[in-house]
Amino acid sequence: MKHVFFLDGQEIPFIPGQNVLEAAIAAGKDQQIPYFCFHPALGSLGACRQCAVKMYSHDSKHPPRITMACLLPASDGLQLVTLEDDVHTEHREIIELLMTNHPLDCPVCDEGGQCHLQDMTVQTGHSVRHYSGPKRTYRNQDLGPLVYQEMNRCITCYRCVRFYQDAAQGEDFGVFGSRNRVSFGRLEDGPLESPFSGNLVEVCPTGVFTDKVFRHDYVRVWDLQQGPSVCPHCAVGCNTTPGARLGTLRRIRNRIRPEINGHFLCDRGRYAFPYATANSRPLQPRLQGEPSRQDAVLRQLASRLEEGRSGFLGSPREDLHSNLGLFALADCLHAPFAAVTSSWAEALAQQCLALPQAPSLQEVAAADRIVVIGDLDSIAPMAGFAVRQALRQGARLTVLASSRTELAQKGDYRPLRPSALRDQVARLADDPCLQGGRFPVLLATAETLGPSGLYALRKTLEKLPANARAGAFVNRPNLFGAAYFAADGHTERLQQALRQRKINHLLCLGADPLGEDWGAGTWRTLAPGLDGLTLLDMVDSETARSAEALIPVAAFPERAGLFVNYEGRIQAFSPVYRREAQVLHSAVHGSGFPEAAGGLKHPLGPPPPLFWLGRLAEMLHLHEAWQKRLDFYLHFLCPEQPDPEGPGVLLPDTIRARFEIAALPATRAVTPEQWELDIFRWYGGETLADTADELHSLAPARGLRVHPDVQAVAATLHGPCGDLQLPVIACAEMVQGVIAIDQEGFAELGLYPGDPVEVSWEQSR
Amino acid sequence: MSSPTSIVDLHDESLLARLQDLVAASPVPEAAISEVLQVLQKARGYIDGEALRLAASLTGLSPVKVEELCTFYSLVLREPVGTHVLRICDSIACHMAGAQDILTQARQHSGVDLGEVSRSGKLTVIPHVCIGLCDRAPALMVDDQALGPVDTQTLTQLLAQLEADIWKPS
Repeated sequence: MKHVFFLDGQEIPFIPGQNVLEAAIAAGKDQQIPYFCFHPALGSLGACRQCAVKMYSHDSKHPPRITMACLLPASDGLQLVTLEDDVHTEHREIIELLMTNHPLDCPVCDEGGQCHLQDMTVQTGHSVRHYSGPKRTYRNQDLGPLVYQEMNRCITCYRCVRFYQDAAQGEDFGVFGSRNRVSFGRLEDGPLESPFSGNLVEVCPTGVFTDKVFRHDYVRVWDLQQGPSVCPHCAVGCNTTPGARLGTLRRIRNRIRPEINGHFLCDRGRYAFPYATANSRPLQPRLQGEPSRQDAVLRQLASRLEEGRSGFLGSPREDLHSNLGLFALADCLHAPFAAVTSSWAEALAQQCLALPQAPSLQEVAAADRIVVIGDLDSIAPMAGFAVRQALRQGARLTVLASSRTELAQKGDYRPLRPSALRDQVARLADDPCLQGGRFPVLLATAETLGPSGLYALRKTLEKLPANARAGAFVNRPNLFGAAYFAADGHTERLQQALRQRKINHLLCLGADPLGEDWGAGTWRTLAPGLDGLTLLDMVDSETARSAEALIPVAAFPERAGLFVNYEGRIQAFSPVYRREAQVLHSAVHGSGFPEAAGGLKHPLGPPPPLFWLGRLAEMLHLHEAWQKRLDFYLHFLCPEQPDPEGPGVLLPDTIRARFEIAALPATRAVTPEQWELDIFRWYGGETLADTADELHSLAPARGLRVHPDVQAVAATLHGPCGDLQLPVIACAEMVQGVIAIDQEGFAELGLYPGDPVEVSWEQSR
Repeated sequence: MSSPTSIVDLHDESLLARLQDLVAASPVPEAAISEVLQVLQKARGYIDGEALRLAASLTGLSPVKVEELCTFYSLVLREPVGTHVLRICDSIACHMAGAQDILTQARQHSGVDLGEVSRSGKLTVIPHVCIGLCDRAPALMVDDQALGPVDTQTLTQLLAQLEADIWKPS
């Protein structure tokens, strides 16, 4: 049955449980009801008194009365009016009160043009302030490098504190004072600690919290080029709206996708974008470290490929099209190809893909029994956000990890060494923490759990009720896409070919095999056998610096592509801007006039990888075969092209089933006396994000995180591929016998999480 | 509530034991926060950063939550005050009855801004939300004692008594 009420005589459909304002906004009637404190994700508060409507009763006993739409449950046949004078007067007078202390600084306010307060003020017709007293003023706080505060603009709608304390469950932001001296902020100046702090910018209906990174290179929002994109910084695949101007990316905003990120984004998703504008970003092809011309580099690469002694290496950091393009080229040349840099990562990808359909974040938020394995917030913060939403609804949370993480403090924490996780996960089916629930969900950070742990997770899931779901997360946007062609032994075969000198050249796409990628230690030992390495990438990495040829590629908002997220959801993103305008107009990059000799070398920004691969195929006279293969693979994996504006397409279960028989690498046994390794990440850490200065300035210090019982200032870890010497950082929350290091450290040692490690402690410097 | 500023050692065991008893006696630890703050303020004169963090850790609240409470309740002091605190009501009834004049007079007498400690160290004048004595407007509070109605003369007398340390609550 269709439910409707009437607003100014027009039918407004609603879902039972909705309030009048919610239904009116959903029906696009928010022009008639101004509002502030209501937010679709934060609910109603009734604090601002702005969303007045007049309700006519059905009988003659009760006179019509003005009430707040956000607090009025929608019911059938309700008769509401906004077009009468008294309602309009109410709207106008309330906004005048709200504007009493608001500065008239719209022309210099960053929010101007995207300001809810500005819109509502204009909409209700308030233009003259009758109060002539002085305006209340505040001292602003320094809230760190990401969010700028201008407290004088506040209209006390409480959206910020409702988001920060209730939704994001952060503890370092609050509301202080009473009456007309209410203020919102931290106890003292300092960076906001929540991984979701950037959302303050979006939930604030006016300019109290504005984007501090956008501020550095500000442009009015109506001058921004915007379009639908997908966040490339972890496997969740939140939907984003990048904004660019004059060929440079200026900001990232959330794009509402109810199944995934809803109304919010994490700070990595919002503030990692300066990788696209970083000075270190390669924009010109380089040959032997020297800037070169497109043709020269391509010719060099084509002649390399013609020799027939090349290997191909894809990446879970790159999108599906580019990986498939590389795969198709390798196929045409009958060359070895691998999608990931180590057999361990290959097994990890396969086990991730073999898991049955993972829950969407919307479903996670509705779960009532949740088990989190590892530090979820540091890998995929928005998954942690969904867990927090479930906690608000009374879900029971159990966290298995080697340190008391932020999430562990909100639920039952079971301190475990990483090597013990697998057995613990295998026993979870009978564990009381999952009993009695109607919708159990298990969420794992894939790297901490490892391939055999993920296998145990799949087996546990089979023993749980049929509606139980599990998801595995990594901080790569396309591990699940790369996993498609991470067939058994591909990486091993590629490395073997290099070892046996069958190949002497490697064409890498978005990979860092000589830097921080998994298994980099092994690649470094194989590097002497490499005569040359060609890299297509958008960041400056260790591999980029030592590559024979470097081919820059377009950043994700500069091109179209597909990412496969942790659910197997194939999402499309489309190009938002082109880089050429910046090269032509920006003073930073020199004058727009051609150089006397040679002119402007690359007036266009770097093209996407698929363009380069197509050109290569042309030069090798393989274009037709390459295109045919590419189309075939694309059609096989993704018969239905997803729409960038849509919810994406889920992988069919049949494709997952192919990975259930994947081989597991042997795990190394750990005795309780041995030290073992766990991975340490933080919420802003990721290859692209590490080049974003503002976000990266918040990164914790590099070191070996151990229990404070360890009496040492530094230590050297010994691994099969090398040693790693770092200072010791005492962490009260770490489990004894565990050393947490970053991915770079693992790459240097040639080890994986859960492996035992030999340590030499140093007592003094 | 006479508020001599004496920073009592927070490691004082009898004080800590008293605070812990308050928390233990409360149905949930968080509920004891107001009493904990009162005891701490009595002992130390005002709630400084250290006391705030102690109250937070005793009750399991975040320091931000405790600060929210401290700034909401105007009887909780977050800055040092003089020997006597004069809280002058400036809400509607008192305002209509001339609270602004009282406030100005007291401020002039103290010689410093509202909320600051007078040079003699004897007095701090603070404007205050309604103290519920609208029938005796304009009203004020001297430490724990409510007084009203107050006029220029009675205020002059009161201030002189406070200054000479001879004021006694009735």
